[in-house]
Amino acid sequence: MKKHHVIGAAIVAMVLPLVLIGAAAGRSATSGAAASGSARAAGVSGTVTFDGVWTGSEAASFGKVIKAFNKVYPNVKIKYNPLGNNVSTVLSTSIAGGHPPDMADIAQPGYVKQLVQQGHLKPITYASGVIGANFSQGWKSLGTFSGKLYALVFKASNKSLLWYNVPAFKAAGVKPPKTWAQLTAAAHNLLASGTPAFSIGGADGWTLTDLFENIYLRTFGPATYQRLTTHDIKWTDPTVITALKEMATIIGTSSNMAGGTSGALQYGFNDSVTNAFGSPPKAAMVFEGDFVSGVIQSSTKSKAGSGYEVTPFPTIKPGPGATGVEVGGDLFVTFNDTPAVEAFVKFLATPAAANAWAADGGFASGNHNVNLAVFPTAIDKANQVAMGQAKSVVFDMSDEQPASFGATTGQGEWGIFQTFLKNPANVNGIAQQLEKAATAAYKKGK
Amino acid sequence: MEPPLAAAPPESGEGRNWGRYVAGAVFLAPALFVLGVWVVYPVVYTVLRSFFGQSGYLGTWVGLDNYKRLFTTSTLETAIKNNAIWVAVVPAFVTSIGLLFAVLLEKIRWKVAFKTVVFLPMAISAFATGVTWRIMYQQDPNLGAVNALTRSVKDVFNQPGVLSQAFPSTSGLQQASPGGAMVLQRPLATGSVALLGLTGIAPADVPKTAVQAVQPPSKPGTIVGTVWRDFKPGGGKVGVVEKGELGLPGVTVELRSAAGKTVQSTTSQPDGSFAFSGVSPGSYRAAIGAQTFAKPFAGYAWLGPKLITPALLIAYIWIWAGFSMVVVAAGLAAMPRDVLEAARTDGASEWQVFRRVTVPLLAPVLIVVLVTMVINVLKVFDLVIALAPESTQQNANVIALAMWRTAFGGVNDFGTGSAIAVFLFVLVIPVLMLNIRRFRTENK
Amino acid sequence: MTSVAAPAPAAAAEVPKVQESVAAKIMRWLAKAPVQILLIVIGLLWLVPTIGLFATSILPAQQLASKGWWQIFSKPSLATWSNYHALLHNHGMVNAFKTTAYIAVGNTLLVVVFGAMAGYAFAWLEFPGRDWIFIGVIGLLVVPLQMALIPMFRLYDTFSLYGTVWGIVLFHTAFGLPFAIFLLRNFFTGIPKDILESARIDGANEFLIFVKLILPLGLPAIASLAIFQFLWTWNDLIVSLTFGVQPITVWIFGQLREFGTSIDVIAPAAFISLLIPLAVFFAFQRYFVQGLLAGSVK
Repeated sequence: MKKHHVIGAAIVAMVLPLVLIGAAAGRSATSGAAASGSARAAGVSGTVTFDGVWTGSEAASFGKVIKAFNKVYPNVKIKYNPLGNNVSTVLSTSIAGGHPPDMADIAQPGYVKQLVQQGHLKPITYASGVIGANFSQGWKSLGTFSGKLYALVFKASNKSLLWYNVPAFKAAGVKPPKTWAQLTAAAHNLLASGTPAFSIGGADGWTLTDLFENIYLRTFGPATYQRLTTHDIKWTDPTVITALKEMATIIGTSSNMAGGTSGALQYGFNDSVTNAFGSPPKAAMVFEGDFVSGVIQSSTKSKAGSGYEVTPFPTIKPGPGATGVEVGGDLFVTFNDTPAVEAFVKFLATPAAANAWAADGGFASGNHNVNLAVFPTAIDKANQVAMGQAKSVVFDMSDEQPASFGATTGQGEWGIFQTFLKNPANVNGIAQQLEKAATAAYKKGK
Repeated sequence: MEPPLAAAPPESGEGRNWGRYVAGAVFLAPALFVLGVWVVYPVVYTVLRSFFGQSGYLGTWVGLDNYKRLFTTSTLETAIKNNAIWVAVVPAFVTSIGLLFAVLLEKIRWKVAFKTVVFLPMAISAFATGVTWRIMYQQDPNLGAVNALTRSVKDVFNQPGVLSQAFPSTSGLQQASPGGAMVLQRPLATGSVALLGLTGIAPADVPKTAVQAVQPPSKPGTIVGTVWRDFKPGGGKVGVVEKGELGLPGVTVELRSAAGKTVQSTTSQPDGSFAFSGVSPGSYRAAIGAQTFAKPFAGYAWLGPKLITPALLIAYIWIWAGFSMVVVAAGLAAMPRDVLEAARTDGASEWQVFRRVTVPLLAPVLIVVLVTMVINVLKVFDLVIALAPESTQQNANVIALAMWRTAFGGVNDFGTGSAIAVFLFVLVIPVLMLNIRRFRTENK
Repeated sequence: MTSVAAPAPAAAAEVPKVQESVAAKIMRWLAKAPVQILLIVIGLLWLVPTIGLFATSILPAQQLASKGWWQIFSKPSLATWSNYHALLHNHGMVNAFKTTAYIAVGNTLLVVVFGAMAGYAFAWLEFPGRDWIFIGVIGLLVVPLQMALIPMFRLYDTFSLYGTVWGIVLFHTAFGLPFAIFLLRNFFTGIPKDILESARIDGANEFLIFVKLILPLGLPAIASLAIFQFLWTWNDLIVSLTFGVQPITVWIFGQLREFGTSIDVIAPAAFISLLIPLAVFFAFQRYFVQGLLAGSVK
């Protein structure tokens, strides 16, 4: 899998200049296909039930994707169920109760792997062609489990970003840092200027794991990253210790975090964003994915360019991982195999589906045939390009873990990293706790 | 007066008895049917399921493994401890507050208004309540109502200092303990200049009267110096007064003798400069007084690990006092008034009437409230998950939440989740035993 | 209450009748004043979170990021109804409201009827094993409804109850019955035995006694039960979410953003949502009238 990432990313990088041509070609291709296959398309009918995470305005954007689908397949009804973060309860219940939905959107590959092993999912090999035409091998292999294609990564977020408060940087005379050394210097100056440097949302453990994973990726490269992901390397390995120590340089100075250590533990992700972009700001920088802009727009008065800006996560060591991008994504899986489901899955892999959402903003995809012109803002375009241009793309490590280790509130990675935030000096102790929890989770086979 | 006994069979013939049995069955049938299907069947399923593995409708048999895991890992340790606190505090509080309110209500004319106010929290969904209180408990006194209230009280007694926080800009200035005085280590003789540079001050924190910092020229017989914000965009040269750096007015500067005693003290000017005149020859040190840094109240960490459970208890009592009050008020409403009047005309005081007549008559109703609250508190879930931030979810953990997390929330282990549920059922048995005993004495 | 003033003027019986009432009035007020003041203070403190919720609902979300909701008192001009507008102009809400009403009313009716019948049976009817069954029923109070989700899901699937309002109504009825039976049974035992005996001697059958005697006498308890059952089910989220029905709580949940504060949705929604249970509370609480029982004894 690791080899595919590097090769796949390289292919993406080579293909990128062709994006615009490809997008145009892709669009005419699908409309051509629609014209000739419209008779077939009208013949497909049925209902598809879909359990998804998206609510509110995101659900509305997905609604546009469904509308675009219905233009091609007017007789298929998609019933979307917005579940927010209750999706795990409802999905577990319906699976155990014997009647899961036709499709679901799951953010954790680790959980998808469990479902494949338990035999609940149906492969989507019928869509292999469409997916292959639009996504690089790297993205395709993210949806491959036990050798078969089970999931389509429809939407992805670039998580290797740094968002900063423009006026605070100006007041401190600091430029957006490109390297780790520049980051440390900038942090020092920001603190001296009276604005703490880092806005940490430790109440949401996943922000801490994302930070660790970015540091690890950019220090040791994608190959080592993958080995840690599959627990090929133990969490007590020297590489992990080094990365934890680097992370401690960020979270170790209580005065350089918004609210200090106790504040960092109580502020969730949303708070960390409003702390950095409210007025007066409580801190100057937030490390997180492209979805930060949505929070800024809905909860603060900060404006793009004058108030907030984004820059890639600083490089740490030269090498293949230096500009590696960590992504989170939405994996679409199927529990049933019907003509209606097949039609929907195949459509979702096409650029038309991605473009329908992209126009609303806050969207990025591994689909290299999307039409860049549709993306509404400069930041949206930049995020999409960054994803395509990255020399290596890896998936969020905690999402690839068994759920009890990587995605459970207050336990496993999330809980242990919060403990780390409380006492960043205890690097060895934390490494041991992580290893213990990981071993237990992998032993259970979950 | 003892609460009335349950009905004894009448003396009249067997036909009546048989009719009563049939009546009993008919009256019970609908309730028992619904309970049997929706509650009893899941209970049986859960008990069974606790002996099986983690996934699937039934899964693979694992015997007592799940239970073993429960008692060997620390998952339940905090939860059990917390639930014990909940059970010890909440039911008693809620029942007595409800009783107090219900009785006091009788004495005022604006009953309905008060009842509505106290009852209102029950009408708000647990989710919204959790969110509301989480916002109220925020540590920042600018955002969290509880700490804002505390701050307005505390600020009366503790005047905040001129600067809320600052750090020395050079190692020459040392702070022995956080919040203490900052002492310039270099000894000063008369005619010297002391530079006390500070950083970490937000531009908004600089007093409004500040102007460009000025380093005063040295004067014989005096010790002069500057206290200033040693920072300009880009950092600048540390320890040197530069253009673009503001002085800090209003800072208390002390002149200390070699022994450490404060000989003189003064306040800095808008450009940060200060002067100690009439200084006799000798070796001195300059220091920034500790009162400069008196931190304003930063707020209690209600949502932190130590206070999260008390914070939850307060919110919970706020919600459920209304329940208790309404139920007890109903009980009071149905109470025969003549008994109370009789006691009063017999010369009993209000307190005696309350203790000897009202409370015993209300006993069945009070039992209902108390027992319901004990069981509700053992089951508490919604409020904990909505109010406690993720970082203290483990500290605030309760059994029902641990069960849900294990069964649904990512771990997806139905076997162990069912085992926790069974453990919860078992915990209730003492409550049931108590009730049985009371029940039996009642029947005698 | 007059007992405090009574002994003193008793000696000077005739003349100070007018003075007595004034003195008595003052005494009474003095006795009451601390109570009044105490209750006013308690009432105000109790209201603070709710006032906070309302203030939050009329402030734009961006304002709440840096200052607390009490800024509304110093800057009333910030208040806006836009949050409510956005919520109410969404036509999904009307349907959700209807669904919530069906669920809440439906299950409350069933709980009251079944619960009263069972409560009466446990209080005043004789049959073998009565006490043990009652204890069993109270024991069911402790069952957390999360554990019923999976077995019920399978059952509902088999009997096509998934996605139906009836499915939710019956689910809530079942979980409301233990408390209902507990409350009503304990309440009904407080009814004096002689009333029932005389009715039985007069030849009335159990059904008649139940309808004509027990229900009216038990009205305060039944009213409070109805209030609670209504508002517990009005505010439920997890059951409807799991079984595919969309009352208001689920609908609101579907409006929340994944990231970013959703307080501009939660606060007005919570406020709108609490108005109905409050109205129910008002409608029913007047049944807490004293003397209902006293009157019928005579």
